[in-house]
Amino acid sequence: MKNRGQNLFIATFLGPPLLLYAVFVLMPAVNAFRYSLTRWDGLGPASWVGLANFRAILASGSEFLPAIGHNLFLTFVPGVGILSLALFFAYSIHQRIRGGRLYRVAFFFPNVISGVAVALLWVLIYSTSDVGLLNGLLKLMGHTQPIPFTESGRLLWAIVPMSIWSGTGFFMVLFLAAMENIPETYYEAAKLDGASSAVQFRSITLPLMWDVLTTGIVFLVVGGLKFFDAVYVMENGRPSGSTHTMSTLMYSKVFQEYNVGYGTAISVMLFLLVLAATAASLRLMRRERLEY
Amino acid sequence: MAPAGGTRTRADWPARLAGGARWLFLTAYLAVVVFPMCWVFYTSAKTTQQIYKSPFGLPKVITAPSRANAEPLVRNYRKAWTGSHFGQYFVNSLIVVSVSLVGVVLLGSMAAYVLARFEFRGRNAAYFLFLCGLLIPMQLVLIPLFFQFSDMGEGLTRLLAPAARAMGLGNLTVSLHDSHAGLILIYIAFSLAFTVFTLTSFFRTLPGELREAAMIDGAGEYRIFFSVMMPLGKPGIVTIAIFNFLGLWNEYLFGLVFLSSDRLKTLPLGLASISMQAQYKSDFGLLFAALVISMAPTILVYIILQEKLTRGITVGALKG
Repeated sequence: MKNRGQNLFIATFLGPPLLLYAVFVLMPAVNAFRYSLTRWDGLGPASWVGLANFRAILASGSEFLPAIGHNLFLTFVPGVGILSLALFFAYSIHQRIRGGRLYRVAFFFPNVISGVAVALLWVLIYSTSDVGLLNGLLKLMGHTQPIPFTESGRLLWAIVPMSIWSGTGFFMVLFLAAMENIPETYYEAAKLDGASSAVQFRSITLPLMWDVLTTGIVFLVVGGLKFFDAVYVMENGRPSGSTHTMSTLMYSKVFQEYNVGYGTAISVMLFLLVLAATAASLRLMRRERLEY
Repeated sequence: MAPAGGTRTRADWPARLAGGARWLFLTAYLAVVVFPMCWVFYTSAKTTQQIYKSPFGLPKVITAPSRANAEPLVRNYRKAWTGSHFGQYFVNSLIVVSVSLVGVVLLGSMAAYVLARFEFRGRNAAYFLFLCGLLIPMQLVLIPLFFQFSDMGEGLTRLLAPAARAMGLGNLTVSLHDSHAGLILIYIAFSLAFTVFTLTSFFRTLPGELREAAMIDGAGEYRIFFSVMMPLGKPGIVTIAIFNFLGLWNEYLFGLVFLSSDRLKTLPLGLASISMQAQYKSDFGLLFAALVISMAPTILVYIILQEKLTRGITVGALKG
């Protein structure tokens, strides 16, 4: 009797969330694979084309391969900056420097602003009109001609400082937490042995926060693979071949060119890349894990 | 005690030089982070002409506060709030995000509690399904969901229309496209994976004796959940609610695909559309005011709740 009541309780509590999740996340995710094997304009009947969409996106001269390149660029170029700055800031704050709390609170600020707002803010910073903060600064230094930082050919480079600006704080907080978790005694022992700050960082801090560092890299790579907002907004909704990321290409294939199968094939590739990146880093994490 | 680099017995000038260089770098970075945000705030109090004339100078309302000098500020915000519908967008964001938050927190903690505290067949399978959601990018779900919505709308119409006619409500058509309800359902469903994952590990840490004690007192499972477990779980629930708030308030791509009417748009959609339209591109007073309206709520939440937020990242990272 009691057991029946409990089963009913479990069903009423788990049923609704599971149903909602299955209908709005799992079902469409599974359907994506089916869609990617068809040619469909979104209205008429769909025709089965097997792997033709995948052959098309992976063929040389397709727009998809450069788009992956742009995603990788937007992952790794700002990523190196973000990781090194975040590690440096976290380590400095961890050493109880003066003003550490201020730095921690302030550096996280840009992380709570939406991608669209960050993009617009940087459009204004890069503006070639008199408003542009950066061109204004260049003018003060004697540079007369304003530089159009956000034109298609330069846009990806222009996004690099923006990504570092908006992304570093999160990773700093993440790494700082990991550093605070390392027992103090290790550092005391190292100091007795006369190890310098740099040596301590390399041989104590870094190995003992390896798990969290890898987690950070996964976040960074997955975020880079999904990149959408800034490119879409800064290109006024019509990115060009030299700026398309996988997501913006997918969006424009489906919602601007009505090529649903092709667009969905891109999203499937994106999913597989996310999966591969996560699996690779989990393996790396397991192998290198240090117990303490 | 400082964990490293704390002992300076001799006058070791290289270390002091390094310390100075580090201080300089941190301060410079502080300026790089903080200045653009201050710039946005104070520039929103200038007219477009004033912005052109002196792009970086402080507005008159700060240098010489007076009612007349506050006028550009009032005008910019009025233009954004009513003229460009940012008031409407703000209300839309508030509705969509608050309903989604209530939904995801309630459903998420229900599922997490059951998964953390009960033994039953299929538990691991259900947990695994939610775990899968952590790996599913929204891009994968977006397109099929868009077309699925049409079918679901038709199905719901067929299901509900006879009842509506019987009740004298006339012809009813249900559409999930271009509606807040549709977007809210997506937001709840898509936030569930992360919420359930985090709260399950949180509910596992709560002491089990309390449930037994409440049971001996004659409380049923539902009572126990709502009056014992939910209050006990508050720290975890608050943290997850902050994360979901920030994520949903700033969400753009789902909104872009699923909302098309201007009167339904959320703030990121409104902000993106004025920043992409040529007619607004040089109306800087408007752009800066709109930017402030969009940024202010999350900045405010961060200022008030920053300890909770950063602690949340900490716990999540060290557990995950």
